[in-house]
Amino acid sequence: MKRSLRSWLWRVPLDQEFDEEIALHLEMRTRELIAAGMDPAEARAQAIRKMGDVRTLKRECVDLGRKRDREMHVTLFLEELRDDIKFAFRQLLAAPAFTLVATLTLALGIGANSAIFALVDATLLRALPYPNPDRLVTIWETSAISAKGFVSPPNMQDWNSRSRTFEKIAGFTPSVASMVLAKNDGTAETISRQWVTAGIFDVLGVPPIAGRTFTADDEQKRARVVVFSEGLWESRFNRNPAIVGKEVKLDGELWTVVGIVPKEFEILGKTSMWAMRPFVNMPPRARASYQLQVVGRMKPGVSIEAAQSDLVAVANGLAREFPDFNKDRGVALEPMHDTMVGSDLKITSMLFLGVVGFVLLICCANVANLLLARATARTRELAVRSALGAGRLRIVRQLLTESVVLALIGGVLGIGVGYGILRVAPLLIPDGLLPGTVILQFDMRVVAFCAVAALIVGVLFGIAPAWQATSFSSPEVMGSDTRTTTGSGGRLRSLLVMGEVATAVLLLFGAGLLLRTLMAVESFDRGFKARNVLTMLVDPLGSTYPTPEKLRQFFDQVEADTRALPGVQDVAWSSAVPLGESVFGEYPFNYQVVGDAPLEASRRPTTNYQIVSPTYFSTLDLAIVAGRNFDERDAPASPRVAIVNEALARSLGGRNPIGLQLAVVPADSPNDKPAIVEIVGVAKQVKQRPDETSDFVQLYTPLGQDLVGDIMLMVRTQTDRASALAPSVRSVIENIDRTQTTSVASVTTLEDVEWAATGRHRFRAVMVSAFATLAVVLAMVGVFGILAYSVQMRIRDFGLRRALGATSGDVIRLVVGGAAKVVAAGMAIGLVLSAAFARLITTMLFGVQPLDFVTFALVTIVLGIMTALAIAGPAWRAARIDPAQALRQK
Amino acid sequence: MPPTSNKTPNALLHGALDALILKTLTRGPSHGYAVARFIEETTGDAFLIEDGSLYPALYRLERKGWVEAEWGTSELGRRAKLYRLTDAGRTQLAAEMATWRKFSTGVSKVFAT
Repeated sequence: MKRSLRSWLWRVPLDQEFDEEIALHLEMRTRELIAAGMDPAEARAQAIRKMGDVRTLKRECVDLGRKRDREMHVTLFLEELRDDIKFAFRQLLAAPAFTLVATLTLALGIGANSAIFALVDATLLRALPYPNPDRLVTIWETSAISAKGFVSPPNMQDWNSRSRTFEKIAGFTPSVASMVLAKNDGTAETISRQWVTAGIFDVLGVPPIAGRTFTADDEQKRARVVVFSEGLWESRFNRNPAIVGKEVKLDGELWTVVGIVPKEFEILGKTSMWAMRPFVNMPPRARASYQLQVVGRMKPGVSIEAAQSDLVAVANGLAREFPDFNKDRGVALEPMHDTMVGSDLKITSMLFLGVVGFVLLICCANVANLLLARATARTRELAVRSALGAGRLRIVRQLLTESVVLALIGGVLGIGVGYGILRVAPLLIPDGLLPGTVILQFDMRVVAFCAVAALIVGVLFGIAPAWQATSFSSPEVMGSDTRTTTGSGGRLRSLLVMGEVATAVLLLFGAGLLLRTLMAVESFDRGFKARNVLTMLVDPLGSTYPTPEKLRQFFDQVEADTRALPGVQDVAWSSAVPLGESVFGEYPFNYQVVGDAPLEASRRPTTNYQIVSPTYFSTLDLAIVAGRNFDERDAPASPRVAIVNEALARSLGGRNPIGLQLAVVPADSPNDKPAIVEIVGVAKQVKQRPDETSDFVQLYTPLGQDLVGDIMLMVRTQTDRASALAPSVRSVIENIDRTQTTSVASVTTLEDVEWAATGRHRFRAVMVSAFATLAVVLAMVGVFGILAYSVQMRIRDFGLRRALGATSGDVIRLVVGGAAKVVAAGMAIGLVLSAAFARLITTMLFGVQPLDFVTFALVTIVLGIMTALAIAGPAWRAARIDPAQALRQK
Repeated sequence: MPPTSNKTPNALLHGALDALILKTLTRGPSHGYAVARFIEETTGDAFLIEDGSLYPALYRLERKGWVEAEWGTSELGRRAKLYRLTDAGRTQLAAEMATWRKFSTGVSKVFAT
């Protein structure tokens, strides 16, 4: 204290302090020399000489002085901080109930925030796990109908060779399909596989952990080469390096495993291996086959704008050279991170971040309220300290230290809460929302986040009560009785509660909208019945059934035997599950009515292509609205037929689709001879997504005329327990295929597929509802707290009123009236805020308007009931006050 | 030049000067000039130092917390920075004096032989 006095009270700049000191010294030395008989000028000169080099001295002294000042401040600060922290712990231990409630509240708030931070960190903040990720861009082909279209292989190759701003450009198929791996023991296994072009690993900069990746040479030789993921290598091959360079049998062909790449690479797609698709000597029409998602690595220092204009020039050149295919087609670039994360995830993350932020604010308000109440009770203690000489800032600092200590304890508990949430949350996260294999991890970054959040929160909820608590004049407070102290503390508390209620209303409203969306999505009519349908992917080994006849016999046998199982109502085969997996992946076909003028390849309509057995429509209860279903007439030798869906029928220009012939060809191999099929029926539209903007175009061909090596088996059961039938169906297949080499995978029910399809809506609704519930409970605890406290403070007041003739009803009215005013104001503010904020989540809503009246009404009712519950206790207590006792109470 | 050869006399001088200053201040708070004068008079010019070198020493001692500075009034009636010995300074002085006594008794014994 003493040492600081000098610097606090006589704040002389260090260099001035030194100058004065030296001046005094010189003067006194000169006087002494004159007194000894020296000439004044000579005396002065000698004094200066004796002093030495003043400039150097000054630098040295001022430097020492600065260091001393700094150390002193730090020491003083640390000493005071240590005292404050000790004192804070004593204070918190002295009020265990307060401490418990406050820290638990904060732990919930900080914990929720840390979990959401982990999500945001994993998706939005972290860069892609590749070297120089900022140089990676996704390149889309644009056309009149698509702003982000896939790319045809020849275009990709021309971009790669003609652009000057890219190191390399490569591609991959956006969907992951599978291949059957024949194992040494004669059994087979279905392994997920993604097609990539030769340069993809070079573009992404992924070095193999064993062997090599693909080369241009592989592509030129059209080599059958495959790269395994570390995961597959680990689970199937025990990380045995000998597998590298070996051949494995995939879909009956021999492929060479050239290398293994690390797990991080799986971000491209959830797959176990990557197979190279060579693109050499392609026919011209391959330009119309838009099948690749393309990534480019820009040269160092190139901006995305420069790369864009470079590629636009290349694309313009291609459009002039190949007008048949590339007319009106351009390119669009976006950072690869944006493509991977996706706007849906981004917006969901932001939503959660906002929601937990509000929850944390409510937590802060609650704790601030508790602190305010405590501060009122501690007014005398603080006044005494103030009278003993502590400045207001010093007391505020001490109170802030207390709240930060509180927040840090809450933060430590919050780490635990966050860890818990992160253990549970991944189960809720729908497949496909997170890119690739992003895992939520609880690491030092999250812990650091908790620490920072706790510090900020501590100051946030501590500053107002601390300021409030120190705004008194000491004599007045010390002479008075604590219970009579009212005033602005009460106002501040009311404002906090109002804010809490408003925030709770906002979150509840958001949750309401999302829940209504979820309900709309779940009750939405997809055109088929998903209940009680078991599905599985059946994949017989090609060598066991070498001819189409053999394969068909197998399928027929499985269908017949499964149908014979007890409880089975219907059995069907299909190459795809509605809303779910398709054995082709995303594999569009071009179609055109035979006899119409041929269209440019870039303008040809595309359709989804699905091979089904005749029973498919009855199994899914999917109506044939015109024409007929497939039947035994549609045999391999008879003319080929097809059933189209309503969207395809509409695209035929108003003609009656029945009897029309379509030329159908895979979009990625337009040079193939088109298949000519006659439309025999129109099936009801199946909606893939409730929020789909354009109707899905669909073409069905009969299994009797069209074959596919791996296919989905669908079994409708009579009872609710469709999944219970899976083992019986498996044994049916095993009994038929004596070689036991048929792989059965993806065993699930259509309801589960549907459940997964609505996953992101559910995820959002569940998460936001959970947080909103937490918010409402916290806000109600706040309302209850302030009311209980104010009743406590006004016991004598109420007692006096009762003594003067007020009934208990009057007292209840008084208590309820005050609280109701605050809550009603909060609700009004909250509803206004909701109306403003609802617009922000419009893209997440379906089947409900942002300003949905039902939701408004429900929120009001729910909060009204909750408030009534929160108010009831304190009001009842106020009504039971015994006047005589209350007045005697000091 | 070996690194220690130059340091020892310097450190010795520092130590001695520090001790002298602390000792001077036991008589009460003084400003820099008074300290310089006192040392000159009592050591009888045996300890010749530049006036200037006194000040870094004072600042160093203040940084160590052995002396503290306050504003007072000089004989000329002007504001002057006065140095006062702190409790820590007193302890330090006692320690240095003890070390010195031990050292000088030792040396004296050698000389007495």
